[in-house]
Amino acid sequence: MANLRDIKRRIKSVRNTSQITKAMQMVASAKMRRAQELALKGRAYISALANVLSHLQSAIQEGSSPLMQRREQGRTLVLVINTDKGLCGALNANLLREVLSRCPEDADYVTLGSKLRSTLSRLGRRVTHGFSVSDGMQEGELKPVFELLREGFEQGRYNRVIVAYQKFINVMVQRPQVAELLPVTPEELLQVAEQDELEDSDNSNFLLEPSPRELLGSILPLYVTNLLVQMVLEGKASEQSARMVAMKSATENAKSLIGELTLEYNKARQTQITNELLEITTAMKAME
Amino acid sequence: MALHFKIITPLRTVVDTEALSILLPASEGQMEVLPGHTDIITSVANGELVYRQAGQPETSLFVGGGFLQVESDYALLVTDTALAADEMDPDSITAAIELAKKDLRNSESVLSREEQVRLETLISKQLAMLEYRSSRRR
Repeated sequence: MANLRDIKRRIKSVRNTSQITKAMQMVASAKMRRAQELALKGRAYISALANVLSHLQSAIQEGSSPLMQRREQGRTLVLVINTDKGLCGALNANLLREVLSRCPEDADYVTLGSKLRSTLSRLGRRVTHGFSVSDGMQEGELKPVFELLREGFEQGRYNRVIVAYQKFINVMVQRPQVAELLPVTPEELLQVAEQDELEDSDNSNFLLEPSPRELLGSILPLYVTNLLVQMVLEGKASEQSARMVAMKSATENAKSLIGELTLEYNKARQTQITNELLEITTAMKAME
Repeated sequence: MALHFKIITPLRTVVDTEALSILLPASEGQMEVLPGHTDIITSVANGELVYRQAGQPETSLFVGGGFLQVESDYALLVTDTALAADEMDPDSITAAIELAKKDLRNSESVLSREEQVRLETLISKQLAMLEYRSSRRR
């Protein structure tokens, strides 16, 4: 029979843990609401840009922008958007599984977020750079990442840039995604553009001002930058929701554990009282 | 006859309405879009955008660089900034200009060409915002 004091101590420690997880759940849910909003708003912007771009496509040949060039030689670069902090359920593990199964082994890896960085290098993948961004992402924080990808691609070191991130579906569901960022392909643009609800694409002839080449030259980098930003935002929204859900279930677990322990505590106390009564009555009987 | 007019920024959909006309600063000069306008894609410069809705006074906004697509009476403006005069904060704009200027001065030699261009466009955009704001105040 467990000692009364031991049980009491355990109840106390579980209660403390549950207070912490409860607080983390609150913080995550506040951050989640903001991250979610940003991620959803950003989707409209991206699909609007893609919409404009897909119309330009009819006027422009493939390969007229350095960001659309297909090349044979060169390596693959994989950007893995994971989280800086843990305690968010199986989020990073799911992403890792996706990365390992879908990305080539000899690619260069760049991580955004520190959780998967050491894991990837331990698995023998070459991690060349590691970045991290704060929760309330500031404009320009992604600039070095983007510069790295773009330079590597434009100088021909890489012929493909792949991004692995967690797409935010809803609070309960996040889906690991592996998407190609560069080169930009016309099919991909059409696909993103179709998410715009007002789309009625009949590829009519547009008047283009200034020249098509200039337009493409300015819209395309904007599109790629924002696509990257959007992926990071999705990742952030996924992280916060996953953390909130994980903390919520941890809090609930703690509660049911406290319930069980309390029951055990009461039983032990009752046994102790019964034992004491037994001793007293036995002693009385012996005195008679 | 009216145009379906939408302004989308990364942070929100600023305008989603039926408009009778839109006057905006295209990169090749001021242009006005009326219902039945030919299909066009054009880049947009910093400046004032005015649109008119049926039975309502004109609405004026500041837009900073972006793209306009007009397709069979659906006008879509994709931009990074779209603000009304009362949404602007002159102090933070001035502060941003000062900061950018300082960055530009301090590290002229170190900065890449691209970075310089970025800072210069930032400054010109903020200046255009200030100008727009003061013109609306009068």
